[in-house]
Amino acid sequence: MLLSKLPPGMRYYLGAEARLRRSVEDTAMSVFQGWSYEEILTPSVDYYALFEQGMGTSEAQSSFRFTDNDGQLLSLRPDVTSSVARVAATLLAERERPLRLCYAASVFRQQQQSHAEWRRENTQLGCELIGASGNSADLEVLLLAAEILQRIGLGEKFCITINDVGIFNGLLNQLKPTAAARETLRSLIDTRDIAQLQCFLDGQSIAASTKDALARLARFTGKRDVLESAREIIDSPVSIAAIDKLSRLWQVIESLGMENYFEVDLADVSGLDYYTGLSFKVFVRGVGYRVGRGGRYDDLTANFGNAESAVGFVLSLDSLVEVLGRDVSTNGTSEPKIYSIETSELSGSFSEAVERRANNEQIRIEPKQ
Amino acid sequence: MITIAISKGRMQDDATTLLAEAGVSLSPAALASRKLAIEDESGEYRFIFVKPADVPVYVEHGIADCGIVGRDVLLETEADVLLPLDLGIARCQIVVAAMDPKVITRAFGMLRVATKYSRIASAHFGQRGIPVEIIPLSGSVELAPALGLSDAIVDLVETGRTLKENGLKIVEVITESTGRLVVNRASYQLKANEISRLTQSLSRVIEGANVA
Repeated sequence: MLLSKLPPGMRYYLGAEARLRRSVEDTAMSVFQGWSYEEILTPSVDYYALFEQGMGTSEAQSSFRFTDNDGQLLSLRPDVTSSVARVAATLLAERERPLRLCYAASVFRQQQQSHAEWRRENTQLGCELIGASGNSADLEVLLLAAEILQRIGLGEKFCITINDVGIFNGLLNQLKPTAAARETLRSLIDTRDIAQLQCFLDGQSIAASTKDALARLARFTGKRDVLESAREIIDSPVSIAAIDKLSRLWQVIESLGMENYFEVDLADVSGLDYYTGLSFKVFVRGVGYRVGRGGRYDDLTANFGNAESAVGFVLSLDSLVEVLGRDVSTNGTSEPKIYSIETSELSGSFSEAVERRANNEQIRIEPKQ
Repeated sequence: MITIAISKGRMQDDATTLLAEAGVSLSPAALASRKLAIEDESGEYRFIFVKPADVPVYVEHGIADCGIVGRDVLLETEADVLLPLDLGIARCQIVVAAMDPKVITRAFGMLRVATKYSRIASAHFGQRGIPVEIIPLSGSVELAPALGLSDAIVDLVETGRTLKENGLKIVEVITESTGRLVVNRASYQLKANEISRLTQSLSRVIEGANVA
């Protein structure tokens, strides 16, 4: 075994990059605090069953697993949300709602979704708003995410795409497809594979209007006009309710003058089994994959015996630092004054050291020449 | 500026012709040069020419915003990219071929399949419940059955001539493959206007070709 080798997907942080990382994390945590979110620390190791319930089997399977003394399957946490949902439904069940919780914690996954996401340890900056429903809660977390991105200096570079999974689910309820057909449809729309989608729809016996709506869904990416077009061609009541809800959300975003930061993407149907309403993704110029995602998952806490509404998101600290780090040399952070103390005579040198430290000055002990 | 990665080889000429018809033209001088990264005449687009299997790599990482590559490559690499447009170029089929078509069901124990498409082949036979030993090759796959390396092959077929000349018959068509426009997930959102301009002008050309 080569001891110099690191396992794939793991890395060190040092110097300017480590400082940047800490400062981005601090900024995010102070924004969370500014919106009255309380920091929560969750166990790094937990039962695999928790994540299987919390994330769904296919996602949980990407975790690092090992067994406990009693043979129970344990896992390094692949997400934080599952654990937060459990604590909300158990230890914090009696607390006043809404609960506002936030965290900065590393998560571990054996396989990433995209070949471009090479890391297997990722620090998530995230929050959960539990026990609050409706557009007000959804807006709160969207604006919170936008504020973090602005404050860390990505104001000109980010885009948050929003969707409501009810739109796609409503269309599918009319079809009642098999599980396999549903997954095929979902994946073809998610990858905007219109050619293959047409082929697939042509082979199905479904109403022409629904076919048309599904085919057009794959192209519905844009601003307010997308919602208006979708409203005209979709006739499922569930979908229409979801479109109307999203439109009201968009109106507020416009009234705040923030429509440049957001984009409607009705073809984003990647997290269907997880999200129950709003779902969103965060993209930043300079990174080829999403740097964050979030949404509403009202069914999650029901797994732990207490169904309540919940919405939240995570940002990948590592991806954010990667983008910001490219500009770090141009930012030129000012170096603090450092006092070098030579250890010629131990008691004298170290009394100076202790004194300077008492004044919070930066010192560096130099060995005797 | 939009960066487009284009598959070198089979796809390259069709792709650049299609782009030229869509108003994105490369000067003949630039095309004739041996440079692997060139800009179009408007300076709006940059092209990089890479091996087919590398196109999804550049696009997934967002180094290229778009790419033009065959569906066969996308299936084989399981690339996580968006595929908004079928360009209809370099049309071909991915097939199972053998000297004796009955071998697929007769080889009850283990079917030996030589291919450049390990993932596609193993997914296909997996779905059908046929146990296979995949023998990965990087070229001249048609040779394998004749020399006894494998019972069957999974390969790309355009005209079927190479198969015939090597005594192979098509057993089944796994899927069709054509050149696709692929787009990076982040670029699709962050450069939405530029990308949609490109897809629209390309799809006008393709629709025009279909009508004619």
